[in-house]
Amino acid sequence: MLRTNEERLIQMAVAAEAWSPALPRTNYRASAEGVPMLFYGTAGIILNARVGCRAYGWASDHIEPGVSVRHRDDGTEHALHYLNCVGNEVIVTTGGARGAKGTITGEHAHLLVDFPPDVMEEMAIGDKMVVRTHGVGLALLDYPHITVRKTSPALLHAMGIEEIGEGRLRVPVTAIMPAYLMGSGAELMPEYVDQDLMSNDRAAIAAHGLDRLRVGDIVAIQDHDHSTGRGYREGSIVIGLINHGDSYLMGHGPGVMTLLSCPTPHLEPVLDPRANVANHLGIGDWAATPEWPAEEAIA
Amino acid sequence: MSIRSNQARLIKMSILGQIVSPRFPSLPANPHVIDRSGKPVLVPQWGGIVYNVRTGDPAFGWVGDNIEPGVAIKNREDGPNHALNVFACVGNVAKVMSGGARGARGIVTGKSGRFAEHVIVDFPPDTLDLLAPDDGVQVQTYGRGLALPEHPEVMCKSVSPELLTALDLRVTADGALEVPVVATVPPHRVGAGAGLDNEGGALSIQGGSREEMAALGIADLRLGDLVAFTDYDSTYGHGYFKGGCSIGVVGHTDSVRVGFGPGVTILFAARVPALVPRLDPAANIANYLPFSGLTLPALVATGGE
Repeated sequence: MLRTNEERLIQMAVAAEAWSPALPRTNYRASAEGVPMLFYGTAGIILNARVGCRAYGWASDHIEPGVSVRHRDDGTEHALHYLNCVGNEVIVTTGGARGAKGTITGEHAHLLVDFPPDVMEEMAIGDKMVVRTHGVGLALLDYPHITVRKTSPALLHAMGIEEIGEGRLRVPVTAIMPAYLMGSGAELMPEYVDQDLMSNDRAAIAAHGLDRLRVGDIVAIQDHDHSTGRGYREGSIVIGLINHGDSYLMGHGPGVMTLLSCPTPHLEPVLDPRANVANHLGIGDWAATPEWPAEEAIA
Repeated sequence: MSIRSNQARLIKMSILGQIVSPRFPSLPANPHVIDRSGKPVLVPQWGGIVYNVRTGDPAFGWVGDNIEPGVAIKNREDGPNHALNVFACVGNVAKVMSGGARGARGIVTGKSGRFAEHVIVDFPPDTLDLLAPDDGVQVQTYGRGLALPEHPEVMCKSVSPELLTALDLRVTADGALEVPVVATVPPHRVGAGAGLDNEGGALSIQGGSREEMAALGIADLRLGDLVAFTDYDSTYGHGYFKGGCSIGVVGHTDSVRVGFGPGVTILFAARVPALVPRLDPAANIANYLPFSGLTLPALVATGGE
C-alpha cells in the first residue's frame, strides 16, 4: 500500500447547492469550423449522463454528467474549488433527496457530483449539500518527486497504482496523450479546474486512440509537467482525469484534471480500458455504458 | 508584390481607452506569482507605462512577467473595452486625447493583458514622459473585415491595412500566401491562449531556459517580430490542427510562469496550407510601420533564465 500522510489531512465541510444552467439572451457561438451553434451543456441536473459515459457525441458542449453544484458566495465557491477532491463524499441536506449521498467526480465550471438516478429524480435545483472535502495536501511519502492534486485518499488507493521500484509508480490509464494536443487551461494552476484536450483535429484524436474516451477515464499526458503550472516539459508526465465531455469550440475538447505530476519519467502509464473513476469507485455508468460503434464514437 | 484586398471598403472608427495602472490583488494580498521552478516571485507584471522596453527589444531576459512595452490601455467599461480589444489592429494610429501629451500619436503594436483586456500602444520616449495612467488614448480602429479575395482561405485577424501593405507578402507557386517571419513555433510550445478568444488577447509561446529557446531558434526573439505557429488554426479560436498556420506579432515579453511566455497577436490564420511562413530575420514591425525615433537595436544575447 502506498504510504501517504492521509491521517494528517483535514476533513472539512463546505456548503454547495445544485446549480441551474444560465444562458445569455443571444446564445450562438462560432464552432471551430465557423458554424454558429447553440451553446449549452454545463450545470443543471443531468438525468441521462453519469460519470463513465462517453466523452464524445453528446448534442451539447462541455457536458457535465450528473449534478453540477456550486455556491453563490464567491469565497465559499472558491473554497469548494480548492478543497474538493475526486472521490469526496457529498451529502444532500435539504429537499426531497435529503440524506442521500453522492461522490465528487470532477471539478469544472462547477463541481460534478454523481448520484444514483432515483436520487436525481427527487432532487431540485437549489437543494443544499455538504461536500466533505478531504485530500488537499496529500503527499506520497516515498515519492516526493511526484505531486498529488485533487485526489482523495479513497481514489488514490482505488486507482490500481503499482510500486515498481527505483522511485517509480505504474498507473493504469485508458489513453496516453501527446503534449501538442493540450489546449485551453494552460493559464490555470493545476489545483484549479482542468486543461482541455484539443479534439478539433479528429484524425489526430483517432491516431492516439483518444476517440473512445469516457468521462471519468484516467489518462496520461506525455511531456507535460503540472508541478507548478500547466505546461510542456520534455520527459515529464501527468496522470489526469477526464472530467467533462467534448466541445465544438477551437482549442477545446474533453477536460483533463491534474491528479499526479512528475517532472521526470517516474510515472509509468500502462494501458487498461477499466481505468475509469466510475469503475474504481463503483459509481456512475461505467458498467452499463454500451460500446459505441466505432464510426459513432466521435461524431 | 501587391496583394489585393477589400481595404477601400473598411470602416475606420475611433474607440477610446485609458492608460491602465498595474494592478495587484487587494488584501489579503499575495503579490507573488509562481515561477517555473515552483518559487513564488515578485516582479513587475502586465499594464502600466513601461519606459525602458520598446518594440525591437528582446522578448526574453527581462526581470518581469508579461511586460507590455510602452503603454497598455483599456476602456473602463467592459462593453466598450471588448470593442476596443477586438477592433484595434496592429499598425493602427492611437492618439492621446487628454493629459500632458494631448495630441501625441502612437501605434498599436499588440493585444494582451491577464484577461486579454489590454491593447498595447507604442509612443516615443519623450511622449512617454508626459503620459499618466487614466489619460485617454483613442485608437483609430481600422482593419476588421479585411479580406484577401485571391486568398479566401486566409483570414485576416488583427492586421491593419497599413501593416498589410507594408509587409513583403508573396504568393508561392501553388498559390499560398507567404508571410515573412523570423521563426516558426511547433504546436507543443503553444501555451496560454489556446481555446480562448483569437480576435483579442495573445497566444503564448511557452518560454523556458535559454538552451530550450535556442533549440527552437527563438532565443533572440524580439518584440515586434513576426512568428508563425505551425499546425495551428486560429480562424475561430486557437487550437491544434494539422496543416493549419497562424502568423502574428510578438507583443509582450516572456513570463516566469509555466505555460506562459512571449504573447503573439495573431495577424493571419488558415486551417489549410494556404498560408506559409518565409524566414526573414528582418520581419519585425519596426521595419514596416512608421515608428517615431525607433531604430532596431543590434541583437543582444539576453542570458535567458
